[in-house]
Amino acid sequence: MKKIIVLLLIIAPFFVFAQETNEQLWAKANAFYTTEEYQQAVSTYEQILATEEESAKVYFNLGNAYFKTGDINNAILNYERAKVLAPHDEDITFNLRIANQYVVTQIEELPKPFFLRWKNSIINKYPADTWATISIASFILFLLLLGGFFFSKTVAVKRLSFWIGIFAILLSGFALSHAAQQKARINNRNTAIVFCPRVTVKSSPSETGTDLFLIYEGLKLEITDQLDTWTEIKLADGNQGWLPDSCIVRI
Amino acid sequence: MKKLVIYIFLFCAAIAARAEQTRFTMSAPSAVEMGQQFRLSFQINDRGTNLQLPPGLSDNFQILMGPSTGQSTSIQTINGKTTSEVTFSYTYILRAKSEGTFEIRPGSIEVNGKVFESNSLSIQVVKAQSQPSQSQGSTTQPQQGTPQNVDLDKDNLFVRVDLSKRNVYRGEQIIATVKLYVNPNVPVHGFDEVNLPTYEGFYTQDIDIPQQINFTREVYNDKIYQVGILKKTVLFPQQNGQLTIEPFSMALLIRQRVKARSFFDDFFDNYRTVKARVTSDAVSVNVKDLPTEPANFMGGVGNFNVSSEISNTDVTTNDAVTLTMNISGNGNIRLVRSPELTLPSDFEVYDPRATDNVQANDNGVSGNKTIEYLFQPRFEGDYEIPAIKFAYFNPSTGKYVTKSTDTYTLHVEKGTEEQSTTVISSRRKEDLQLIGQDIRFIKSGKPMLQVKGHTFYGSTIFYLLYMITAVMFVVLYFVYRKKARENANIALVRNKKASRVAVKRLKAAAGYMKQNNDEAFHEAILKAFWGYLSDKLGIPVADLNRESAVAKLNDSNVSEEVIKDFEEVVDQCEFAQYAPVAGSEARQDLYKKAETTMSRFEKQIKR
Repeated sequence: MKKIIVLLLIIAPFFVFAQETNEQLWAKANAFYTTEEYQQAVSTYEQILATEEESAKVYFNLGNAYFKTGDINNAILNYERAKVLAPHDEDITFNLRIANQYVVTQIEELPKPFFLRWKNSIINKYPADTWATISIASFILFLLLLGGFFFSKTVAVKRLSFWIGIFAILLSGFALSHAAQQKARINNRNTAIVFCPRVTVKSSPSETGTDLFLIYEGLKLEITDQLDTWTEIKLADGNQGWLPDSCIVRI
Repeated sequence: MKKLVIYIFLFCAAIAARAEQTRFTMSAPSAVEMGQQFRLSFQINDRGTNLQLPPGLSDNFQILMGPSTGQSTSIQTINGKTTSEVTFSYTYILRAKSEGTFEIRPGSIEVNGKVFESNSLSIQVVKAQSQPSQSQGSTTQPQQGTPQNVDLDKDNLFVRVDLSKRNVYRGEQIIATVKLYVNPNVPVHGFDEVNLPTYEGFYTQDIDIPQQINFTREVYNDKIYQVGILKKTVLFPQQNGQLTIEPFSMALLIRQRVKARSFFDDFFDNYRTVKARVTSDAVSVNVKDLPTEPANFMGGVGNFNVSSEISNTDVTTNDAVTLTMNISGNGNIRLVRSPELTLPSDFEVYDPRATDNVQANDNGVSGNKTIEYLFQPRFEGDYEIPAIKFAYFNPSTGKYVTKSTDTYTLHVEKGTEEQSTTVISSRRKEDLQLIGQDIRFIKSGKPMLQVKGHTFYGSTIFYLLYMITAVMFVVLYFVYRKKARENANIALVRNKKASRVAVKRLKAAAGYMKQNNDEAFHEAILKAFWGYLSDKLGIPVADLNRESAVAKLNDSNVSEEVIKDFEEVVDQCEFAQYAPVAGSEARQDLYKKAETTMSRFEKQIKR
């Protein structure tokens, strides 16, 4: 017991120190950005991310700094990472759109059915944690209303708490599933950004495969399979093929 | 040293100029009749000595006269500079000894000790025509020197299309010459209604010929004709098989002497102009198909050479590079399609631009075609510009020949945006729209950092929150329900028991009354009432006093009268405790009153 306390006492300052440094780094990086020293801003933001901590804001600012240094690929990569954490942030969407205008390959996305679009836009409304909180809050509300339903002696209160209770439990379930999907999006990062200036997509995972099409840097694509040093990718327009691992960076 | 070089150069130039100035030419008609006199003349623009006739001339020709010499001077003034040229001529009159084609070898002359040789000639001698005497005797009979009326039949007047080849490959060039043949004795005055042939099935290109038709002598079918070339065209057959050049016709205006009808007519030259229509024969050409075409065959038939040139091999991205391919040679160069340049697929490639420059002459069509391939590399790297393969068909060997341009290595470096101002690409268009637009500014405030991959959702606390709240709910539910049930039971039991307990206590009070135990009697009545009210109205004993009991009774709709009786009973009992009132009647009355009040309570208090 004593040992543990001693250990905690030794470790604690480090945590405190690390936390402070990250906050300081953040302030420093923002200052660099404001004074238009973008290269330094980039390296400072990267330092924060090197501590295994992240946030949508850091990714967003890093993306901005990369954009200002002219590194569009990294800018897009970081905007996309920010977007995973904060799917409904307007600033991220806006800057990502501008960065994407520098991407050479223009792809016409396959149209999605309206219900999928609606569902996605609802899911992307909040990040996983917000959905989780909503789920728990509505679950607690449900329990309260259930109590009201059981113990109230007034018929009107009983009826009201019954219907609101059903709504609350449904909301809780949806919020939970949305949170799960958002979490899945964060965990299975199966999208990537192309970093090679141009790369030929092959029909099979080898150099001898037939050349299918050419794609250029900055393009976002979906990873569907992996074999040795090759990755099978799928574009938003439905085209599929293999390309070397070294040419893409996962979001 | 420098001066010496210049002197030597000038000296050489002077000699060359002088050597060039001396021209010695020999001329004679190309076709003569047997037994007819003709002139063989030599011309030199310098004074020469020791003219030597061509060796072997007298073997075939008889020299009738000569040489007669002549001299002419021409003075030219060009840009104020006057040059004069003297031409000396030596003329011989010859007559052929026999029919046939004879070669006249060059004659020679000495000028300032140097010997100059003339050109050589070939003369065709044909047998004498029908009226050799007339033309021969023209000098002796000047009156009859006017042309005779010659029959205007096909022998004396015709047109034909002369083709250089009759059996060709498709695309091989043929030189078609439209010729007018006229008997030397027919005076052609002019043309009318000239319908030159239309060459259907051929791609044509006209050869420039002088506007003025020059008649030359030519032998055709062993007869001498004046031949005028009307048109020369290079033909490229475009179809396989037998191609026919349709007959064409024209009208010639010929002066003919009208026969004198009377003596007087002879005094006037009586001529009229006759229109003679001539029609050519159809001419056919046999066109063979080309053998199986190789892949890079671009339709070229003839003899070609290719060369190429690249504008730059070290460029930055989006710089324009021009590869120029030059196809030169003899053949259907205008019909040659532009060969394709296969470039790496991400190059911005523009359509090749082809310009051709061809001349048609008696040897056919020759010239060159220049094809410019313009492209822009979009990304940095080293690229190989492959050779352009160009295959053509050589009709003289009957085989395909493939020639190719050089390959080039293009080194592309990443250019800055500013350098590529000439580029028009889709990306640039969007840039224009983006003027005045920028990314949004960075976010400030707390960074809200989290450990990577960590979310509240899925964490233990998250699930525990569900569990804890659910468990808490269940526990609370059961506890509450149990308590509620218990409460309900106790109240009910007490309620039910209330009157019995009260009756019991009243009976006890009756007992105390018989024993004359005043104190116990009043206490028992009070106990009976309070206990009853506590149980019946659910009022805890601690809270029970007169006011709360009265209020509760009022709430329970107990009549005022009964409440008044109850208060009287309670008053009497409490009063008796402090000041005992003796008297059994009074006690009896109190007991009765208590009993009736109790029974009224029992009736009026409803749950």
